[in-house]
Amino acid sequence: MFLLLVVFKFIPMVQALYLSLTNYDLLSPPRFIGLRNYVDLLGDPLFHQSVAVTVYYVFGTCVFIWFLSLAAALIFNAPLPGRNFLRTLYFLPAIVPVVVYAIIWLFMFHPYGLANATLQSLGLPSLGWLGDRRAAMPGLILSALWRFVPYFMIIYLAGLQNIPNEYYEAAAIDGAAGAQVFRYVTLPLLRPTVLLVIILSIVFMSKVFTNVLIMTGGGPGSATRVLSLFIYQTGFQYFKMGLASAASMFLLFGTMVFTLLQLRIFRDDGRG
Amino acid sequence: MAAGRRRDLLSWIGVFLVAGWGLVQMAPILWMVSTSLKPLNQVFALPIQWLPRPVEWGNYPDAWNQFPFARYFANSFIVSLSVTVLNVLLAGMAGYSLAKYRYFGQRALFIAILSTLMLPIEVLMVPTFIIAKDLGWLNSYQGLIIPVVADAFGIFLMRQYMLSLPDSLVEAARIDGAGELGTYFRIVLPLCWPAVLTLAILTWRETWDAFVWPYLIITDDALRTIPIGLERFESQYVTTYNSVMAISTISMIPMVLLFFFFQRAFIRGIALSGLKD
Repeated sequence: MFLLLVVFKFIPMVQALYLSLTNYDLLSPPRFIGLRNYVDLLGDPLFHQSVAVTVYYVFGTCVFIWFLSLAAALIFNAPLPGRNFLRTLYFLPAIVPVVVYAIIWLFMFHPYGLANATLQSLGLPSLGWLGDRRAAMPGLILSALWRFVPYFMIIYLAGLQNIPNEYYEAAAIDGAAGAQVFRYVTLPLLRPTVLLVIILSIVFMSKVFTNVLIMTGGGPGSATRVLSLFIYQTGFQYFKMGLASAASMFLLFGTMVFTLLQLRIFRDDGRG
Repeated sequence: MAAGRRRDLLSWIGVFLVAGWGLVQMAPILWMVSTSLKPLNQVFALPIQWLPRPVEWGNYPDAWNQFPFARYFANSFIVSLSVTVLNVLLAGMAGYSLAKYRYFGQRALFIAILSTLMLPIEVLMVPTFIIAKDLGWLNSYQGLIIPVVADAFGIFLMRQYMLSLPDSLVEAARIDGAGELGTYFRIVLPLCWPAVLTLAILTWRETWDAFVWPYLIITDDALRTIPIGLERFESQYVTTYNSVMAISTISMIPMVLLFFFFQRAFIRGIALSGLKD
């Protein structure tokens, strides 16, 4: 196992770093060119755009995820009749295979699909969705929320269920009601979970690939070409492995910062 | 009494809201299933027809026979099973070594292992691909299986669980003359079965659903897994919506079954995936 990790995680990491300093097309051996790839990337408007699109996607989804999944978890944590059944239904989008999820939403956003049919029945104009430069990103974000809000709801629920009942009983004796209980009991005790969800969702969303590849392929134009797709296209369609590696260094750096934060939180959590 | 009734009323309003919301969540899936049973000329009929009439059961065999889907399913099964077994076995042993032995550099090793959690395939596409290519593993089962087994989350999970087992248990087994492997397989592993089950389900699900890695290394049709086959089918038969939806529905079934049978372990896995990816 250690050997496997070395071969498929550590060596690739070092190799990515090395390749990022070379010019490599898979056919002739890599040629060392120093920092040229990084300079090229920093001057490439397409790369800038792909970073911007990734940031847009990550924060566009995450901000909604943080609040909606918490709200959903609070509702499902309350003693409602039929709760388990409803929770299972609600959770289904998170277990749909990723390709199926992408196909479903490609179909939802078809010009005559369910999304536009719903808009029309509400008396609103249809949208071009994935074919429209400005609507493509919101469309992707909407579909990501469908899938990931239930997912993060489960993590919140686990956190909520870890809060001992005594705290609520004590709060009830002290006469605290609804919003007060949430503000002064639930939220402070849920802090580690909230932090976990924030960081995990950012790391999760920043490596988005499959659904974008299938739903838009990065288009229209390059309006939805996220960083991982940029890496894929640079490396596996234009065979610029060196340049692609340099681009992955940026993605790696981004996820690393947040993962380190996450590990730190976990450690503090374990200590307390 | 009055307060009780008010609470009942509130909770019914809650149920109502949640059920409505649940329906909105379910709508895309229901629409997929419904479309998979429609004749092509009714796919976009307005107002939306939720119950197809007539029901075209024939869409399923038609779509199934376009591509070698039985082969794709078999491949997915082989790969998922191999990855799951190997991962549970190796992660269990690695976790055992980290939890119940003491040796030089152990802490550094553990941190090194944890640090690989931040290296998802999306980041390491290029170099991992080059290594698989140099090993001659493109278009092969070992290429689909071995690199995926290299995953630190299982080690972490098993180590944490094994730390909670008392050391005296392991010592007792050793005193009774059980060898190292005997102790591990007969004493430690059976006691860890909740962790084993969680890890197995999580691994199965991720491997079954894996897209990026097979997409990069498989071009041979005989080795395609379900997600890759489905993506190919979708791009080739884009406008045959009912067929695409039929195949999508079929691909969803194994995952849904897994979820219903192992719901607890499934949800525990997701709640634990805090450290994953």
